[in-house]
Amino acid sequence: MDGVDVLVIGAGLVGCAAACRLAQAGARVEILEAARPNAGASGANAGSLHFQLERRFLENGEALADQAASILGLNLLAIEEWRGLADELGPDIRVHMRGGLMVAETADEVAILERKVAREVQGGLASRMIDGDAARALAPGLSETVVAASHLEAEGHADPKALTLAFAAAAAARGVRLRQRCRVVAARPVRSGYRLTVETPDGPEDLTAPKILIAAGAWSARIGELFNLHLPLYPVALLMSATERTAPLLDPLIQHVGQRLSMKQAQAGNVLIGGGWPSRMRLDAAGRFDLDRPAEMLASSLRGNLAVAARVFPRVAELNLIRSWTGITAITADQLPLVGAIPQAPGVYVAAGGSAFTLGPTFARLLARRILDEPEERLEIFSPARFGHLNSFMGAADA
Amino acid sequence: MNDDARPDYDLAVVGAGPAGQAACLALPDGPRIVVIDEQLRPGGQILRQPPRAFSVRGWLEGAEYRRLKARLAAFESLESVEWLGGCSVLGAREAGEGWRLALSDGGGVREVTARRILIATGCYDMAVPLPGWTLPGAMSAGGVQAFVKSQMLAPGHRIAFAGSHPLQLLAADQLRKAGGTVAAVAFSQPFRRFVLKALGRPWTALTNLPRLMSVLLMGWRLRAAGVPIHFGRAPTAVEGRDRVQGLRLEDGAVVACDAAAFCFGFLPQSDLPRAMGLAVRPARPGGWKACHDAWMRASRPGAYVAGETTGVKGADAAAAEGALAGLAVAVDMGVLPLREAVRRAAPVRRARARALRFAALLEAVADPGPLPDRDLPADTIVCRCEDVTMGDLRAALAIGADAGGVKLATRCGMGVCQGRNCEHGLLALLGGVSTEPHGFTPRFPARPIRIGDLLAED
Ligand SMILES: Cc1cc2nc3c(=O)[nH]c(=O)nc-3n(C[C@H](O)[C@H](O)[C@H](O)COP(=O)(O)OP(=O)(O)OC[C@H]3O[C@@H](n4cnc5c(N)ncnc54)[C@H](O)[C@@H]3O)c2cc1C
Ligand SMILES: Cc1cc2nc3c(=O)[nH]c(=O)nc-3n(C[C@H](O)[C@H](O)[C@H](O)COP(=O)(O)OP(=O)(O)OC[C@H]3O[C@@H](n4cnc5c(N)ncnc54)[C@H](O)[C@@H]3O)c2cc1C
Repeated sequence: MDGVDVLVIGAGLVGCAAACRLAQAGARVEILEAARPNAGASGANAGSLHFQLERRFLENGEALADQAASILGLNLLAIEEWRGLADELGPDIRVHMRGGLMVAETADEVAILERKVAREVQGGLASRMIDGDAARALAPGLSETVVAASHLEAEGHADPKALTLAFAAAAAARGVRLRQRCRVVAARPVRSGYRLTVETPDGPEDLTAPKILIAAGAWSARIGELFNLHLPLYPVALLMSATERTAPLLDPLIQHVGQRLSMKQAQAGNVLIGGGWPSRMRLDAAGRFDLDRPAEMLASSLRGNLAVAARVFPRVAELNLIRSWTGITAITADQLPLVGAIPQAPGVYVAAGGSAFTLGPTFARLLARRILDEPEERLEIFSPARFGHLNSFMGAADA
Repeated sequence: MNDDARPDYDLAVVGAGPAGQAACLALPDGPRIVVIDEQLRPGGQILRQPPRAFSVRGWLEGAEYRRLKARLAAFESLESVEWLGGCSVLGAREAGEGWRLALSDGGGVREVTARRILIATGCYDMAVPLPGWTLPGAMSAGGVQAFVKSQMLAPGHRIAFAGSHPLQLLAADQLRKAGGTVAAVAFSQPFRRFVLKALGRPWTALTNLPRLMSVLLMGWRLRAAGVPIHFGRAPTAVEGRDRVQGLRLEDGAVVACDAAAFCFGFLPQSDLPRAMGLAVRPARPGGWKACHDAWMRASRPGAYVAGETTGVKGADAAAAEGALAGLAVAVDMGVLPLREAVRRAAPVRRARARALRFAALLEAVADPGPLPDRDLPADTIVCRCEDVTMGDLRAALAIGADAGGVKLATRCGMGVCQGRNCEHGLLALLGGVSTEPHGFTPRFPARPIRIGDLLAED
């Protein structure tokens, strides 16, 4: 296995996109994937491009909202990134950036929305407040209960399943080898970098490279353990639902500032409804969260989610629900993504957490520069160094 | 009602075919039972009843139906049973001391709880992709049959039957009696396969002689009425522009017809067992059959399975399994001593074993071989809900994906039918590629449901 510069762990969107960018810069890369591309959150997500500050950043008080606003710089980069992706990767990824509305139904919600837009504008985002009628003009059929909305023209959606595969194909075209059914089970520092042990259908194997990228989504904390590191990433299980296909009905992405809701009509015609309603993770034999089995759907979440959707956009009540599913993604202790080098383990990098469908391609581009030792300041606020105290007693000694 | 309250029923039976009916009949009086079926009236596939509103003369004549009708009459007179017809079960999950079922009766969704649940949901026609199989007028033989059975009408004028399952003779015979014209019946396998398989199981063949004779008789009746019956000629395409105009057979000949009916066999209904987390294993000629112990207990506490949901085996075996499940529920509830259940089960087990031998013979005779054909033209649709073609699948298979990966890459199985009509075909295609073909992850709801109805639930 000589001659690999970077071993990427995980073939979700983040791993495939990072491998692609690294290879484009000339690095020799191999991706190790326990199952197959899209096996994790990248194959289960809603495909929303949220560039406005998300509701989850606003629901825990002003101080946290201020801190979270530091993500706006990344969102601005992500808008540019997405504008280029359709040209770069082709029409299959179905980029639809025709606007997004975050709606409010009460005076309190309007107030939160106004503060949010003020923050965004200060951070350079072109969002604006509009009234209920203006929102209904952009999204005919939106309920009369909507009194205001923040609008951002660049928002929208794309096809998550296709995006991962498109990056994987682009990476393959640059010589990246993607090994499926190849699970990393051990890691050890060696003089030339790190030696990973993988389990494959043909038995175990050792692979060595100077640099390692952990892009294992919700599994990343477990991978961190293999390196004797704490990665403060927590798995969360979310719910999604899809209606039958229907004629064009809804053009923009719809979110709600006071309720968990994201709703859009995908290009195939199905209306996708999500927004962060919880599911219940199963436990494995050892009593830990089982990340390899689908989480259990909660009836209360399904009802709650569909009820908000039908209230905000009554015509969805007429559509047939054909499928609900759950997916597991990762959040960090401060909700910001965790992207960058890990100081206590030189040569080990991580990219996980956050809304990484929206932001994954941008993480990938910036982190590839960082991994290849090019100057890259824009990732500093997401650096694992901010949790350095957790790893004061950890790390990879004894090379 | 919260999860800790007393369940509404002691037993919920899903499916009122021979298996579900027999389970209720085997239970002693006392337990509160609810029987839920999508059909308005009990009977299951084999006894699909005409709507009460108009009664039809000559509905399902014939000796083989007499016993089934007697069982149905006994079931309908049971007073301990609450009947919920026209009601689909969308899903069931473990809740407190039992199971919580989500039901849709077309007007709304509600939940009922039961201490125990019996899944007796039968089987359905296996769809086999061919060029043109999605044209209006192309259907399953079971579809024709259901139509004939429920209204005694013949769709189209001339119907051509093709496939590998002998049931198509029955369907053709019924259609002809109902006034339809049978253009031809084409079997994919040569006639000698029937003879060889029967000779290979002489005892089973002999003990089922009346049955075999009745099939021969049907064939003879059709021939006498001028219907050509072909052997060794598989269908290769449905011809026609906007609707069916002909059925092309292996040797290139085209049978002129207005409708084409296919019969390659049946798949166990596995959506509920899989969504409930019950163990299943691969079935022949496709699909998944629910696993069970000798008393039809499934792999989760309080769950039982019986009939064709555990493998396609005919009405007699289905009824026997239903009776065993009913006895097991009685024992597990403590209303029947085990010794008594064992005694009552003995003749049932013998009947089941007999029926299973015949089912094995039928399965061997009817085996359609590996389907779909790997060499189908690239533009042949495999997933009709999402218009996924053979070419799309080949491209995805070339990457070496599993069923879930192909689904994500192509949308195969993402449509309204939830993969009921394409999963088996995809797994067959994957058979040569992947060493451990897993199916699609089961999803709620088992049937599409209007969101407004879901929210109207009380
Ligand atoms: C229901 C849901 C809806 C969402 N909606 C949105 C949205 O609308 N917009 C948005 O921006 N984000 C959304 N997200 C978040 C987004 O999906 C994720 O942030 C993103 O997909 C993460 O990609 P990833 O590549 O980091 O992780 P994943 O896609 O989870 O990939 C991790 C990969 O690592 C592999 N792996 C794990 N362990 C090992 C091992 N030991 N060895 C080798 N490989 C291993 C896994 O098999 C997996 O393929 C949503 C998430 C969910 C669950
Ligand atoms: C289309 C078709 C035609 C057939 N014709 C014949 C024939 O002519 N002669 C013959 O010998 N055999 C025939 N068979 C085989 C025969 O149906 C079986 O041998 C026998 O009826 C199996 O009994 P069962 O109780 O297991 O299931 P079934 O009799 O199939 O009963 C299952 C019942 O469950 C109900 N159900 C399924 N899913 C749900 C749900 N989610 N919610 C609520 N209700 C549900 C169905 O409506 C059905 O009434 C046919 C099978 C099919 C599929």
